[in-house]
Amino acid sequence: MKTNEPSNHDEALGKVLKEWRTDASLPPRFQEGVWRRIARVQAPAAPPVWAVIAHWIGTVLPRPALAATYLATLLVIGVTVGWAQGHQQTARVKDELSQRYVRVLDPYLAPRQ
Amino acid sequence: MKRGGFILVLGLVVAAAAYGCVYLACTSSARSLQRSDKPELAWLKAEFNLSDAEFKRVSDLHVAYLPQCREMCQQIDAQNVQLKKLLAEAPNVTPQIDAALAESARLRTECQRMMLRHFFQVSQTMPPEQGRRYLAWVKEKAFLPDYGMPKE
Repeated sequence: MKTNEPSNHDEALGKVLKEWRTDASLPPRFQEGVWRRIARVQAPAAPPVWAVIAHWIGTVLPRPALAATYLATLLVIGVTVGWAQGHQQTARVKDELSQRYVRVLDPYLAPRQ
Repeated sequence: MKRGGFILVLGLVVAAAAYGCVYLACTSSARSLQRSDKPELAWLKAEFNLSDAEFKRVSDLHVAYLPQCREMCQQIDAQNVQLKKLLAEAPNVTPQIDAALAESARLRTECQRMMLRHFFQVSQTMPPEQGRRYLAWVKEKAFLPDYGMPKE
């Protein structure tokens, strides 16, 4: 009894739909919009960033050429930053000591006890 | 993934080690200056490429100069105290304030003469080229102060 009911409904619904007529016009490019939305829903979701990075580390980085380039680049960065900061620090210390030399000799600048 | 992770960490270690080694090498001269007994004199020796003998003569002149400088400091401080006291009490420029201002100016002149004499003596103990460079530098520092004003 129960299994017959849906088919009866379907038939009734089909009949109603066949008889149904409307004068309303579709919005412009309606069909194209529907297909676009379907395509968007069916497109595979982009993998998370961490998965991409982990995949890159696991598969791309171990390639000898890339690994060598990576190590050389970080070596150059370390040397360059160390050199720049070392020179900056040395210049700062020397400037401080030169000012101190003048302060010690100038009674108007000399530190008072 | 394991090999890639190892390479990633190795790269960071290499960068940190390179940074540390180069930084320490570049700052070794500055650290050695700071560690010396009189860092400002050690800087002078390094800056003007003084030999040990020249440096000893400069150090002797420096040590001999310091008591005169201290004596001058005391006179300046005493004069400043007196001037401040007069300025606090007087409603106008009095003859005492005039005299105190004149004394302050005399002290400043005396102080500059004393410094200049010392600078000439020090420059004469250096090799001629370094002596000229020292005089040019020290005159600018001690006699043409910018009073903290930014240079253009």
